[in-house]
Amino acid sequence: MTLATPRDELALVDLLDRLLTGGVVLTGDVTISLAGVDLVNISLRALISSVSILVEQ
Amino acid sequence: MGPGVTDTLLYVYAVTDADLVDAEVDGLSAVDDAPVHVIAEAAVAAVVSAVDAQRFDALALKRSLEDLQWLEGVARAHDAVVSRLASHRPVAPVRLATVFTSTENVRTLLRTRARDFTAALDRVRGRCEWAVKGFVITGHTAPATSAPAPGLSPGRSYLERRRAERDHRAQNQHEALTEAAALHDQLAQLAIASRQYPPQDRTLSGHRDEMVLNVAYLLPNGEESEFRQVVDAYQGRHLRLQLAGPWAPYSFAILEGDQ
Amino acid sequence: MFGRIDSDPESVGKDLGRVVLTLVELLRQLMERQALRRVEVGDLPEETVENLGMGLMRLEEAMADLREYFGLRPEDLNIDLGPLGTLLSHPDGEMR
Repeated sequence: MTLATPRDELALVDLLDRLLTGGVVLTGDVTISLAGVDLVNISLRALISSVSILVEQ
Repeated sequence: MGPGVTDTLLYVYAVTDADLVDAEVDGLSAVDDAPVHVIAEAAVAAVVSAVDAQRFDALALKRSLEDLQWLEGVARAHDAVVSRLASHRPVAPVRLATVFTSTENVRTLLRTRARDFTAALDRVRGRCEWAVKGFVITGHTAPATSAPAPGLSPGRSYLERRRAERDHRAQNQHEALTEAAALHDQLAQLAIASRQYPPQDRTLSGHRDEMVLNVAYLLPNGEESEFRQVVDAYQGRHLRLQLAGPWAPYSFAILEGDQ
Repeated sequence: MFGRIDSDPESVGKDLGRVVLTLVELLRQLMERQALRRVEVGDLPEETVENLGMGLMRLEEAMADLREYFGLRPEDLNIDLGPLGTLLSHPDGEMR
């Protein structure tokens, strides 16, 4: 069974895949390395910081 | 900070043909709800909006990119602009968070790389991207014998059960991968181009099942019916498929010499 | 797992439990894999194999109890070994 996803339900992970690893790479005036953006770390850090906030309460 | 520091930067969404005018991007909602406008130079045009320099300078960006909520907002706004344009013109989407300090710098970029941009746009002219994902179906993982085998001691019996489950899972996995490869071969023949991506991390995607297929296919606009038929007609027992599209050609509008 | 963690007191324990149990479950699965491989080598005395099996069985039961205590289902402990999974997997069909 296959589903075509309606545009308003685009999964964030699919969007980030395209915008962080796809698209034209230009040397902008502000240089950051998106290759260094590790999405798993982002998610884990968000999780850990939420947990530590809870623990402090 | 010294004098002459800009407090706004130009956020670049995409590059398209030079015939794009401001009126066409009127009303498009962008990052921080700023208006989108066009900078045309040579044969191409960049679609941009002004963003707060304090939030987009190198240091702030690095921190912001680790804030998932912020990242989501920017990503959705960026894609909203890109997809609206892609619905009626060739678009080379630019990677997230590409910013310039002046209009002049954007013009210089367009001028010096006009030929590369035009080539990329020609590659995606009248085309869009469809994404196919395949997941391993784990429903039928119960091996034939889940009851303890007669004659085996309990500890042994447990190990035996685990071993059978493990082997069954591995076999299932193998079948799924084989089916995925065969399907990709079929779909790639129907598409102009394809690009394979690594499976998405489950922690991020929230998918319960393991992803073994993650491919983007380039198809002519409006001509996806045969492609979709192949996906819909899939009868394999080990793969669950997901089709998404049309996307703007993020995976295919690449400049020569890009990584 | 993008979701915010609730600050509702009821779910605080559950959310923390989920984080901890996910790690424990990961370790349990790794141990089982290693044990199966070791047993398959075939050089362990029968009594050792039996003890190993019993130990793992009890571990699985304990894990099920812990999950139940926190009101979690097996799928709540979303295990994806990721790069580690790749390290452990073997092309000829050994457990992934």
